[in-house]
Amino acid sequence: ALVPAQRLKAAVHYTVGCLCREVEEDKEVQFSKQSIAAISEITFRQCGTADLPGLAGHAKRTTVNTEDVKLLARRSNSLLKYITQKSEELASSNMEQKEKK
Amino acid sequence: CKERRGSSLQHKSALFSCQKQMNSHESWSLSPEEFEIWDRLYRIKESDGIKEPILPRVPFETLENLEETPKPEEGAARELSLSEWSIWQNQPLPTALVGHSDRCLLFIAAMEMMELLRHQQGECSYAQELQPHLHVEDVNIPGNKRPLSVANSR
Repeated sequence: ALVPAQRLKAAVHYTVGCLCREVEEDKEVQFSKQSIAAISEITFRQCGTADLPGLAGHAKRTTVNTEDVKLLARRSNSLLKYITQKSEELASSNMEQKEKK
Repeated sequence: CKERRGSSLQHKSALFSCQKQMNSHESWSLSPEEFEIWDRLYRIKESDGIKEPILPRVPFETLENLEETPKPEEGAARELSLSEWSIWQNQPLPTALVGHSDRCLLFIAAMEMMELLRHQQGECSYAQELQPHLHVEDVNIPGNKRPLSVANSR
């Protein structure tokens, strides 16, 4: 069933709020409720502009994989390094889980 | 099909003549005549009394910085601003040959939303509108111990 946009937005807004509180504690700053709302809306819409299926299709695949995700981060070396590290961590923990089974 | 072949031939000949022009320079760099024009009309010199424009390079606040940022001498360059004219940006600006992308429209919509929220004090209409739609099973943040009501009362 298709989830209504309002419900998705509400979940994103809640999560963004929690992440902002973490930053507030860490950096000793305050976010206004309006700025949290703006970050939520941008995050929600940003999900719609990342063309992951397009990238997978470009490589003649129908399944989006981690290489497509890395391509989204290509503009910044710092970001690309971070995403690549996370991807490797995920891959190795997936391997471990498979071995356990 | 014939038409298509014709147009592709035309395309080729245009490319060819372009290449021919390129060959007359015999290199990627400017010819002496072009250099003279650039030097006279476009090159920024000290006597011009304007600073060299540079694009801002903003590192990620939350990540280790890997980008090389050769800092120009303090005050020697003018960093082009992407936020100085933010109040102009809640509407699509005119286009010439390239239309606005989805990403650009997203930016405009976000600027418009922020313009509307700017004058609100305290309670936020966006948050109030969404609150009834929140399903607890949709959100799961490891290590988050504070329930929504506590987070909201701050």
